[in-house]
Amino acid sequence: MAKLSWHEILGLITELQKRGFDVVGPSSEGGVVKLLPLEENTKLETNYVRTLNSPKDFLLPNKERLFRYKSTATVTSYGLKIRFPTVEGPCPITIVPEYSPPRGRIAFFGIHPCMVNSIRYLDKVMLSDPADPYYKARREGLFIAVLECDEGDEYCFCKSVGCEKVPNGYADLSIKKEGDGFVVTPRSPTGSSLLMEEGVEQIEETIPKMKEEYLFDAKDEKSIDLKDPANLLEDCTICSSCTVVCPTCYCSDIQDRFSLMDPSNVERIRTRMSCQRKSYSSIAGGVTFLRTKNERFKWRMKHKFPFSERMYGISGCVGCGNCIAFCPSRIDFRTFLGRRVA
Amino acid sequence: MMTMEYNPYLPRPASVNAVREESLETKTLRLSLINWRATFLPGQFVQLLLPGVGEAPFCITSSPSDPKHLELTIMRRGLVTTAAHYMRPGDAVGIRGPFGRPFPVESFKGKDLVIVATGIGIAALRSLILYTIENRNDFGDVTLLYGARFVEDLVYREELKSWAEKIKVIVTLSKPSEKWKGLKGRVTDHLDTIKLGENSLAVICGSPAVMVSVAKTLIEKGLEQKDVYLSMERHMKCGIGKCARCMIPGGFMVCKDGPVFSAGEINLEDVGE
Ligand SMILES: Cc1cc2nc3c(=O)[nH]c(=O)nc-3n(C[C@H](O)[C@H](O)[C@H](O)COP(=O)(O)OP(=O)(O)OC[C@H]3O[C@@H](n4cnc5c(N)ncnc54)[C@H](O)[C@@H]3O)c2cc1C
Ligand code: SF4
Ligand code: SF4
Ligand code: FES
Repeated sequence: MAKLSWHEILGLITELQKRGFDVVGPSSEGGVVKLLPLEENTKLETNYVRTLNSPKDFLLPNKERLFRYKSTATVTSYGLKIRFPTVEGPCPITIVPEYSPPRGRIAFFGIHPCMVNSIRYLDKVMLSDPADPYYKARREGLFIAVLECDEGDEYCFCKSVGCEKVPNGYADLSIKKEGDGFVVTPRSPTGSSLLMEEGVEQIEETIPKMKEEYLFDAKDEKSIDLKDPANLLEDCTICSSCTVVCPTCYCSDIQDRFSLMDPSNVERIRTRMSCQRKSYSSIAGGVTFLRTKNERFKWRMKHKFPFSERMYGISGCVGCGNCIAFCPSRIDFRTFLGRRVA
Repeated sequence: MMTMEYNPYLPRPASVNAVREESLETKTLRLSLINWRATFLPGQFVQLLLPGVGEAPFCITSSPSDPKHLELTIMRRGLVTTAAHYMRPGDAVGIRGPFGRPFPVESFKGKDLVIVATGIGIAALRSLILYTIENRNDFGDVTLLYGARFVEDLVYREELKSWAEKIKVIVTLSKPSEKWKGLKGRVTDHLDTIKLGENSLAVICGSPAVMVSVAKTLIEKGLEQKDVYLSMERHMKCGIGKCARCMIPGGFMVCKDGPVFSAGEINLEDVGE
């Protein structure tokens, strides 16, 4: 354990960068706090409750190239003409996917316990068999310095979903604000080497104070099915913000893209997809399985709670409150799903 | 970078070996796999990449006994499927997979099989049909009940005749022309003609509404839920349980936990309309 000044905290970031990490941490930009790459002109922010984005934006970027390949498409004066590459003679011309694994090691510096829990959830999804190679490459050697959280805002409810503490093995350093300085505790060998200390320490984690607490009974899909969200969703504009800012929403789309300037270079990319959009569940022939906004809202709730419990044995919601705080209509699912107890 | 880990997102090369017109809207592509083999069982699917167009999932319709070729029967519906209809022998394509959970064919051995297909649903079952024919002695009675609208809609029209030498084949048309001499009506109209015993199992693929009504009828007639198998269809992207597009109620991924499910594993109400 070490007592560090603000200056020494910044020193830790520099040291991480020296060790080859891309350090990402909370920083104020345009009136909101975001997780940003901490570089010379990006100032670390330690007085904040929530960030607009979350670790998923770095571990599973919104637009990610899976590979590239050449096609034989050409643009002619009458439009795009696609000729399939033809396999001729004994030496076949085939699609050769060019793949370069993501590089660089990420260090999250100063994220709150709820966000650490979201990394654990993404791990469950992305590292379960078969592991996602792109996520795995980014995840490898991940460094996490947790900034303990004292008090949430009116949208926070991590305690109600059991995500107020850092899961085992998910922190390299714990940082606690104390007066003008910080108490920093090493929680992994990498953490202690950074502090130039020996050994790893156990700590009594700060349990954040909650303004509101809830009791959710959503392990059972049927209980969600029986409820009617029509009133709650009256003002929902289906903007999908709730899924964009959610640290555990990972649904994605895969597309082959090319530019008309050079149609022979095709990129296969993965982008984020939201269950709030109709095309999420439409299939060729015109069938859409989730037709109304009510159905799609319930789907989001089911994926967060009963489906995640069944598939991964943990809650898919970490209680960060982002989907409420950043919803233009402040649609709050908490009393829909459960009841307020404090 | 030298020893590359298995990356399920990277397609492997194949080329079109032959194209067969099956019906008005469907073609079968026979693909030769270039320097790799596919190990699979009936019921599994692959993601077919058409360069410059995109990717879509298709059931493998060929028999698992030939690991160097795959046959896909493709109905023209949207972007990828239409492009697939323009493929010619020699064209290069990419394949990801095989993916998904197959029919538990080992546990089917010694049983009487009732195979019910409508429309393009037969594509998902052809591999199983070929498998039962190749291993005919391992199975009891095998009956295929296949429904389509018109004669022109019937897929595998020629093959049906050769199948009929080995298994019982019943074809019914719901909107036949005057010339049609065979059975008329929907598959549900003819379920009564199939005798079900202690030892019977059913396998169904078709539009969601048909699958549900066939499954319900067969269960009413005495089949256990666990002995009624369906092959499901959902929007798919990754094929390995990472994109959540194919998720169905219960929190199952059709690409990984399915596409084959028994009626005991899922709620029939959730299959779709
Ligand atoms: C497990 C499985 C097996 C299938 N087997 C066959 C088969 O043997 N023969 C056959 O003709 N069709 C089959 N389909 C349906 C086939 O995948 C769709 O018709 C096809 O994806 C439509 O693509 P498109 O680009 O032509 O349509 P578009 O409407 O242009 O679709 C664009 C994209 O959306 C996705 N998509 C759209 N519809 C579907 C869908 N129904 N299922 C999955 N993804 C979809 C695909 O990624 C597709 O490329 C199967 C579907 C699944 C899920
Ligand atoms: S953020 Fe709010 S308005 Fe937008 S889709 Fe979600 S619930 Fe609806
Ligand atoms: S559902 Fe809302 S509260 Fe739960 S993790 Fe996602 S954004 Fe946070
Ligand atoms: S297709 Fe991506 S999860 Fe099933």
